[in-house]
Amino acid sequence: MLLGQDTFRRLCQARELLAEVREQPLSIRDVARRTGISPFHFIRQFEALFGVTPHQFRIQSRLDQAKLLLAKGHHSVTEVCMEVGMSSLGSFSDLFWRRVGTTPSAYQRSARVMVQVPGILPPKLFPGCLSLMGMLPRAAFRNFREARPL
Amino acid sequence: MRIRLSSIMVDDQDKALKFYTEVLGFQKKHEIPMGQYKWLTVISPEGPEEVELSLEPNVNPAGKTFQAAMFSQNIPMTAFEVTDIQEDYMRLKSHGVVFTSEPVEAGPVKIVVFSDTCGNLIQLYQPL
Repeated sequence: MLLGQDTFRRLCQARELLAEVREQPLSIRDVARRTGISPFHFIRQFEALFGVTPHQFRIQSRLDQAKLLLAKGHHSVTEVCMEVGMSSLGSFSDLFWRRVGTTPSAYQRSARVMVQVPGILPPKLFPGCLSLMGMLPRAAFRNFREARPL
Repeated sequence: MRIRLSSIMVDDQDKALKFYTEVLGFQKKHEIPMGQYKWLTVISPEGPEEVELSLEPNVNPAGKTFQAAMFSQNIPMTAFEVTDIQEDYMRLKSHGVVFTSEPVEAGPVKIVVFSDTCGNLIQLYQPL
């Protein structure tokens, strides 16, 4: 699929709209209308560009925000639920469990660290594979060790 | 000092592995569980085998902001060299890959940019 610059820009704007937390969330149809693309083409082009549907993107965006707030540890699970624009604690917990594989409160406990450093994110939010090389088995580096200089 | 490893941030490692192997045609080299994420690398079947690309989970909010901004500004995160850019352009388009332009000449190379569906724009280039 070849996207023109204007359509590309509109879809990027739509992604920002979908990530916004509002008291009255925009429907997917509203977002499509605001970006000037028919709902059918909007959903199809958005998924082709970003790898997820607009609806899936919004859910993932809310969960990402929830994980950040939970990991920082300054909000209760109920407050986090409201902060990310969800009105039902039951629906929020169920969604979180299905997508993250744990409950919001268990996630918050697992992200809690003994020492909170202002301005530094909890380790849960920066897996940093490259910085965790020390945990890899030796086989992961065999490729590099056995490589002859070019 | 050698360059044997490079990395790119992806929003979903499983989705990325599928795209980078089944669509782009790279091969999985390592998939080692590390907590809820994994050490995941791919190599090109055209070599060199010892050069790996790590598909890193983009979890850090700062990384997400950076990645989204680069994407919106139409700036590729990395570039892969190809032998026949027109052929790869047609092949990837047939897989539903989204391009932001057709292949164009830019000085000593011909380039084209596509979305990897994992939050990045990638540039292909063919030296002329």
